[in-house]
Amino acid sequence: MKPRNVSKKYMAKVHPRIPEYFDMMNDGRLTRREFMRFATLLGMSAGVASVAAACGGAEAPAATDEVMDEGSMDEGGAKAGGTLLIGMETSAILDHPARLSWIQGANIVRQVAEYLAEPGADNIVRPWLLESWEANEDVNEWTLNIRQGIKFNNGDELTADDVLFNFDQWLDDEVGSSVKGLLNYLEGGMNDLERVDDYTIKMHLSAGNIGVPVHLTHYPAAIMHRDFQGDFVASPVGTGPFTMTEYNPDQAVVMTRRDDYWGGPAGPDSGFPYLDGIRYINMDKDAALNALSAGEIHTFYQPRPTDWEAMKDNADINVVATSTAQTLILRHRVDIEPFNDLRLIKALRLCQDRQQILNLAWFGEGDQGVDAHIAPVHPAYDEREIPAQDIEGAKALLEEWAAETGNSLPLAVTLVTKNDEGEQQYAEVLQQAANEAGFDMSLDITEASGYWERWDEVPLGITSWTHRPLGTMVLELAYIADNEGNPVAWNETRWVDEEFSDTLVAAASTLDVDARRVHMGKLMDIFWERGPIGVAFFKSAWRLARHEVKNITAHPTQYDLMYNVWLDDAA
Amino acid sequence: MGRFLFRSVISIIVTMVLVSILLFVMLDPRDGAVLVKILGIEATPEQQESLANQLALDTPIMTRYLDWVIGNDWRAERLIGSDVVLLEDPRTGDSSWWIDEGNERYIQYEVNTDGLMVPLVRQPAGEYIKEAPVDLWETDAEGNKFFWGLDAKGRGALWDDSGATEFISTQTGWQELAGAPVDYIPIRKGVLRGDAGISWRTSRSISNAVYLRAGNTFKLAGLAFVVVMPLALLFGIIAGINEGKFLDRFISIVGLIGTSTPEFVSGLVFILLFALTWSLFPSQSADLIGTGLKPKHYVLPVLTLTAVELGYVIRMTRASMVDVMKAPYIRTAIIKGMPYRRVVLRHALRNALMAPITIIMLHINYLVGGIVVVEAIFAYPGLGDYIFKSAVFGDIYALAAAAMVTVIVAVLTRLFGDLAYTLLNPRIRFS
Repeated sequence: MKPRNVSKKYMAKVHPRIPEYFDMMNDGRLTRREFMRFATLLGMSAGVASVAAACGGAEAPAATDEVMDEGSMDEGGAKAGGTLLIGMETSAILDHPARLSWIQGANIVRQVAEYLAEPGADNIVRPWLLESWEANEDVNEWTLNIRQGIKFNNGDELTADDVLFNFDQWLDDEVGSSVKGLLNYLEGGMNDLERVDDYTIKMHLSAGNIGVPVHLTHYPAAIMHRDFQGDFVASPVGTGPFTMTEYNPDQAVVMTRRDDYWGGPAGPDSGFPYLDGIRYINMDKDAALNALSAGEIHTFYQPRPTDWEAMKDNADINVVATSTAQTLILRHRVDIEPFNDLRLIKALRLCQDRQQILNLAWFGEGDQGVDAHIAPVHPAYDEREIPAQDIEGAKALLEEWAAETGNSLPLAVTLVTKNDEGEQQYAEVLQQAANEAGFDMSLDITEASGYWERWDEVPLGITSWTHRPLGTMVLELAYIADNEGNPVAWNETRWVDEEFSDTLVAAASTLDVDARRVHMGKLMDIFWERGPIGVAFFKSAWRLARHEVKNITAHPTQYDLMYNVWLDDAA
Repeated sequence: MGRFLFRSVISIIVTMVLVSILLFVMLDPRDGAVLVKILGIEATPEQQESLANQLALDTPIMTRYLDWVIGNDWRAERLIGSDVVLLEDPRTGDSSWWIDEGNERYIQYEVNTDGLMVPLVRQPAGEYIKEAPVDLWETDAEGNKFFWGLDAKGRGALWDDSGATEFISTQTGWQELAGAPVDYIPIRKGVLRGDAGISWRTSRSISNAVYLRAGNTFKLAGLAFVVVMPLALLFGIIAGINEGKFLDRFISIVGLIGTSTPEFVSGLVFILLFALTWSLFPSQSADLIGTGLKPKHYVLPVLTLTAVELGYVIRMTRASMVDVMKAPYIRTAIIKGMPYRRVVLRHALRNALMAPITIIMLHINYLVGGIVVVEAIFAYPGLGDYIFKSAVFGDIYALAAAAMVTVIVAVLTRLFGDLAYTLLNPRIRFS
């Protein structure tokens, strides 16, 4: 039985800020989704948070079910059995999960091993292997409470030793895990982790960070057994709903249902997983698209916009879409002439017809941007009016620049980018408008690998950035300087702004969503006033699946959450 | 004849050596792109540097070439001071290097927090168990401690206590990581002994993958060859002896249409018709339910290859046949009253086949190395697909090994082509 009501006292016990959020939700200043997100981030279990969300709020109660569990509507008639066939490229490195650099590999691992927290398809992070987490007021001390009674598929129980083993692997330079980059607040390495008891770990951060739970969902952060010896294929030991029964990456990777699965947060009675097995079949997207429409597979990894276009009207295919923070960033290097003058990027930004770019690059599926690397799907997004195209304004800026610096127009520039994610269309639309405004823009468009070899070197380019659940995460990667004052490794523009950096630090240690929205709004304003980038739109992501697949979600980062997916033969 | 063969074999060997050097030099990873590919763009520069060391990318290209061709297990053995063997892990089917201490005892090492070596003793099932730590440090001329062994991944590894290694003690009493090696030798037997090492892209044995995929490609290419060549020769001959008649025009035009339609068009048209519209054959050759590939999986790929290949060989055979049929000795044979069928089969065909044989041999090369498009369309796990993916990734050892297979096919088909000439044409045989 779920508690029918959640008292503020209980909320305050979990974290002193939660009652405030509750009030804000009741005042309509916070949506249920945001309340859920922050309550769970602060350590409230998703179940309790959803009940609390249902208790208050001005929205219609029906909305609550959606927030609780996107897939819950089909839970009632769920049928067990069947093998889900997924088309995906499976042939790449899979040894140490901490070293994964491809989401396809993580999708294989994810069925067998699990994460401390689950990155829901709704962009809400919930505890998973953790029962809960708690943060102190300054968010620089986090307590991770590990759920008891979870068994690995070799029979051992999950304890703090396993979790600490994984932290050690992530932080070990020899392992080479990208998790390490996220855990940069553990400056003392393993010294910053405290083993309280068998099921409790304390993290002592050198600086407050609200992103800890989100970082634990990073795809290489799968929790392996404490005896793991570095090769997942040799010992696929994890707590997940499936075991890996066949690994033949040139052809297929096969998962088989575990009968003794702990059932996820809902417990063993959940009946998870519903599927008897999953078969990842090695194929590229062109082959997968054919196989999907011929009914030979159920779904495939990461449909492209053209795949969506081809399938959206197909009666056999269920199309699920989701907003993401994936985007194309028009950026220039502020340390190279002539782009050290911000008027040029401003002029380019004014040339953008955002709707047209979105239409051509991503079939109109997405959210328009306001030249800030912060997406509407981010919780503390501060809404701004979408700027209209203004070629005259761009021309005026350019002429002012030319007169002042003694240059003549048109100004020859080369826009460099790649062609696999809609960048080419973006570049071509921009080129047309830019040439009207007084640029003489040429395009240098290569295959993806050709661009990634020089992405942070080219003076003017369009770079694709992936989804990150919190708005502050990407900003910390790409728009600040390190301790010595040099731009951080991924700062492709070399742009560093003191006020921006300070505001970002403030935002990244502010749990209060309204307060943080103020910071985020300020960041967006700085981006608009003197930022080095243009952001025309944020992409939608899709899941294309045959109708018989139920409960399947579209995930902003293409994670395959399959424990509650089931197959309906009747459909 | 003997001299001819000898000369051919020598030229094959020289070709292979030159091509392998050329391949290796051209593919040399000049920047850290492959490190980014392996670690992801989120990796820190320290992690990239560490990986470059682990992959031995920091050694000179000449050393790496020799390692690749003739292996470096002997070099590692000399440094470690004992024999190393390659043993298969029964859990994955992949192999790893172990120090052979005799009596079925195989070990790798780890260095613990106290700076002692922990022997990892291999168990028959493939995993290892840790033994009590031992002190195996040696001292070099300058008094520095060092130790050469194999690490837990089966790589030759040099440990030292220079301080490059981080010793971590924690509040939690958690002390796992101790010494990381300071230098590595990724051991392999070398391609000459059938071991090209570990793929950077898949972290699995290159040789196993190339063996499997070359087998797949030979199967598909062989099937296509068996279907295409007899048909092409037959139609070519028929068209050739019916020059200018309707039959000739018909065969030529149909062949031309097939040939001038690229695989990625004809393949998709076949998928549209046979898989999506009529549901007769699967749209791809992936092993969907784990029962292995059935003949039906080969139908569309072979059909696509046939459509492309048929036209070339038909035209070549036809042109050659037309030429020969105009020759005086054919006219003489016909005039002297020899049956037409016998003139064609005994006199004309033998001479008319000279040119098509060159084409056929070239087409074997195409079928083995060049069917990457067909492999991609039908998700067929073949060699072309492997080469393509390795190239895109920058997995140079895998790419070079797979490319060498196609080189071998190319030189062997040339040898067979030469032999076939000599059989057909006595003038070459006796010259």
